Order: sequence, then structure tokens, then C-alpha cells
Amino acid sequence: MPAQQTFAEVFKSRGISRRDFLKFCSLTSVSLGLSPALLPKVIHAMENKPRTPVIWLHGLECTCCTESFIRSSHPVMADILFNMISLDYDDTLSAAAGHQLEDVRKKIMKEYNGKYILAVEGNVPTKDDGVYCMTGGDSFLNVLKETAAGAAAVVAWGACASFGCVQNADPNPTGAVPIDKIIKDKPIVKVPGCPPISEVMTGVITHVHTFGTLPELDRMGRPKAFYSTRIHDKCYRRAFYDAGMFVRGFDEESTRKGWCLYKMGCKGPTTYNSCSKIQWNEGTSFPIGSGHPCIGCSEPGFWDKGPFYTRLADVSFLGTDTTADQIGVVAVGAAAAGAAAHAAVTAVKKKQHDKESEK
Amino acid sequence: MGRLIEEIYVWRLPVRVYHWVNALCIVALMVTGLYIASPVLNPPLGEAVWQHNFVMWRYVHYCVAFIFIGNFLYRLYYALLSDDQYAKFGGFRPWSPKWWGAPFKEQVASYLFLRKDEPNYVGHNPVAALAHFIFIFCGSTFMILTGMAMYGENRPGGFTDAVFGWLLPLFGSSYNLHFAHHVVAWIFPFYVIVHLYAVFRHDVVDRTSVTSSIITGYKHKVEDEHAI
Repeated sequence: MPAQQTFAEVFKSRGISRRDFLKFCSLTSVSLGLSPALLPKVIHAMENKPRTPVIWLHGLECTCCTESFIRSSHPVMADILFNMISLDYDDTLSAAAGHQLEDVRKKIMKEYNGKYILAVEGNVPTKDDGVYCMTGGDSFLNVLKETAAGAAAVVAWGACASFGCVQNADPNPTGAVPIDKIIKDKPIVKVPGCPPISEVMTGVITHVHTFGTLPELDRMGRPKAFYSTRIHDKCYRRAFYDAGMFVRGFDEESTRKGWCLYKMGCKGPTTYNSCSKIQWNEGTSFPIGSGHPCIGCSEPGFWDKGPFYTRLADVSFLGTDTTADQIGVVAVGAAAAGAAAHAAVTAVKKKQHDKESEK
Repeated sequence: MGRLIEEIYVWRLPVRVYHWVNALCIVALMVTGLYIASPVLNPPLGEAVWQHNFVMWRYVHYCVAFIFIGNFLYRLYYALLSDDQYAKFGGFRPWSPKWWGAPFKEQVASYLFLRKDEPNYVGHNPVAALAHFIFIFCGSTFMILTGMAMYGENRPGGFTDAVFGWLLPLFGSSYNLHFAHHVVAWIFPFYVIVHLYAVFRHDVVDRTSVTSSIITGYKHKVEDEHAI
């Protein structure tokens, strides 16, 4: 396969009709939130721009991001997307392995120095020189630093690479850190989620390819197109929230009626993601749609905000099952008790004082 | 009983108005805030689209919050630009070691029953001033900033989001922001109890009518009681 193939050429060589190609382009521009006027630009880019080489590294992770990615909406699309981004190195998906594959990575880094996109799945254990994650005979810490040096931009796939996820949840035994703690001098797009929605992943890549720039990012470094609103804001159960109709237990009538899961610990009101609009698996459903509260998997440190089924997190440093409200009630109670005790002492002292002055 | 020998006009009308508006706001905000965190009432009957039960709690919380903020700013304005010596926080100088000296220590010692006499102040005593600074000034500022940042989340890219949104990355996430707002809210009921106790106690011990002073504005000095 020639290195500088365009998307259109790939489509053609795969026997995909022009009609399907245009459908793909319009779907992509819609998912990116672009105006219809920009559709020709997307088509032009897909037809004329050489495919962007992508090196996809896997660090300390569970591969759920890849699992999500390969399920991008349409079965045909999934196949297309593999080819369109010119995924030159991916140790999970490549047929090649070992030195052969590592040579490919080195070759891309040399040939496309400063031009390739580095996609990182998983985070970086830093404790003990990074021995807790070894890839290709070297620590992932070193591999990541080495590969990031020549990248044009970095895409952080998933909650791990973006914010840390379960690996750096308390007590974080391997000293795992998200990649922005290691890569400081490259633009990083964070695509959080455990895993991120597949259309969001492909959408980010298409944006980079189409416009040659990174998508517009919010304060947390996430693409605004997909992470600017909370799940809560576009949740189809929002009407029940506003009305005060809440599910109170999983075996209740209210659950069957599909009321709001707020009281069941739904983190939708504090979670920025597109689940409630794009949904999952070809728009089949999403967690809240299946009657499960959102656990906030695209938010930083969501593992430490547990338990998942209550509104208010435990205050971890005081042990389990202590909530902020319990602390508050104890503090207010202590204030009342202290005031009462102080009043008693004041009364006793005053009596003594009165007695003394009487003498 | 000692004779009333002097009355001093301490709390002018703007201060009294501020105090009571603030007190009512804090109660309303605490009640609605706790309800928003944990909606305990039974769900309404009928279709969801007919009802605005929960949204009303949030609405009231926001409305009262804006009154609270306005009132807070009004009090700061009054402190900075009026000539009211008791409202100006002029004596509160925690950056100077002198402020932490004799008067402060005497007042603490008195609260700990280490002194027999009760120091008396026309305005706030140094310990009260410090408590007001921590709970009312710092506490309110914290609640206003975190609250406005969360309010901004309702309309991403809007004005409130643009002005206060920087608190989100500062706290790490929206959840942390909600959590901090919730935890810090508890200082207000705590402070209300301590404040009420201190006021009632001072009124009993010093007999300066400090309780009614926040309604009438006047504090009274009473002649020292002589042994009969």
C-alpha cells in the first residue's frame, strides 16, 4: 500500500461506491457539528489530502478504547476507518509483532518526523522507572517520551490517558499519571470516557485530518464539539428531573416508568460527554437509557468519587461510609453541645462570682 | 441591677438590613440547597411535563443566591464607602501582629474562663471580628464563586461560564466543585449556632442589649453593679 494514499483512494480500492463515500463525509461533518456549507471541504480533504499517519500506543490500560473504536457506527465504516487514518502502528491491532512492528514505528517516526499523530491509549506508571508497564522491551514511559518527540499532535484516548482512570485511583500503587504529565510540549486533545464513544473518536481524527488543526478545545483540553455540555443537559429523562420524579430503588415502579436516576447516584449532572445525544452502538442506547445511573466515566478521578449509587461521595480520608452531610451534622451538633457546655460553665462561674461578691 | 447610663447607636440601618437579609438568605439557601442535594418529598402525581416541583427548588435557590450576592456586595460597598465607623472593619487588621496582641488574647482568655472580667466592645470584639471574617466573608466568597461556576455550567459558553468557569479546572471537575460547595455549606449552620450562643451569652453576661441591637441599632451600657 503506498504511503501517501488519500481516503478516496482507499475507499475505491476497497470497492466502496462514491455514494457511500459521500454518505460517510456528510455523516462525519454532522457528527462534528459542522455546517452543511463545509461539507465540500470535508469531501475535498478526504479526496485530496494524503492520509495522516497515526501511531497508536497502548500503555497501562484495558483496551476498551480500541474495542469502542472498532465498533464505530457502521460495520463498513469500521473497516473504512481502519484504513483511512493510516494506522501505521498499533500493537494491539497489527498483524505484525515484535521487532518487525517496532521497526515500523521507528520508520514512521523518522519519515514523518513532526507530521504524524500520536494516539495514546492508557496511562503511564512512573514508579520505579516505569517498570509496571513494559512494551517492546522498554518501559512505556520511555516509549511514550521517544514517540511523542516527533509527533505533530497527541490524542489522549479515554479516561486513562486523559485523566488517569482506575490505574491512578487511590492509592495508585504504580504511580500512574495521565499523559499530559509526561508530554508537556505538544498539543494534546483529551478524549475522555471509559471508553469514549466510537463516533467521538473517529470524529476527532476526521477533524484533525480535514482541517489540519486540532478541534477547538475546552478548558480541560477536550473537544468542545463533544464535551461542551453535560449528559444531564440533553438527557431524555430531564423532564422527570425537573418535575421531581425520581427513581428511589431498582425494584420499584418508578424504575419501570423510567423516571430520573438522580437519587440513584447518577453523575449525569456533573459529567461532560455526548452519551445522551450520540449514544452508543449505532445509537442503540446509553447507560441511562438502560436504566443505570451514569457513573461519570469521562470525568477526572471518577473512581474516587464513589459510591456510584449515592448522590454524595464518601469523604475518603475519614474512612468509608462518611458523607459530607454526616460531617456537617456532627460539626453542628458539636457546636450546639459546645455552646451548651460553655453556657453551663458561664452560669456556674457567674454564681460563684455572685457568691464571692456577696461575701 | 445596674442603671442604664448610656446608649450608643452602633448598627445603622444599612447594617441591620444587611444582617437580616443575609440571615434569611442563608436559611433559605441552606434549606433549598440540602433539598437539591437530596430531594426527599414524594413525587408529584400526573405527567412530568405538567410539573415543576424540583425545578422550583433550584429556581428559588438561584434567586435567593442572587439576592445573597447583591446583599453581600452592598455590605462591602457600605464598608468601603460610608463613614460608619462600626461598619468599616477598620479595627480588623489580622496582618499586623499587634492586632493579635493583648485585646485578642484577653478576649480568648475570657471565652476560656481564664479571666474573670469580660472585655467589652461597642462594635465587634476581636474574636468575633475574626469569626465573621472567616465564616461570613471567606465562607460567602467561597460559596458565591463555586455557586456561580456551577450556575455557569447551565449555559456553557455563556457569560457566567466565561467569568467563573475557570473554577472547574481549578477544582479538577464539576463533581469536585459540587462537593466542595456542599461541604462548605455546613459552616453556615455551624456558625449560626455559635453566633447565636455568643450573642445571647454576651447579652446575659455584659447586659449590653446586644441581641436587640441588631433590631434597634442601639447598644446600652449599664452601670456596674455594687454590692448592697
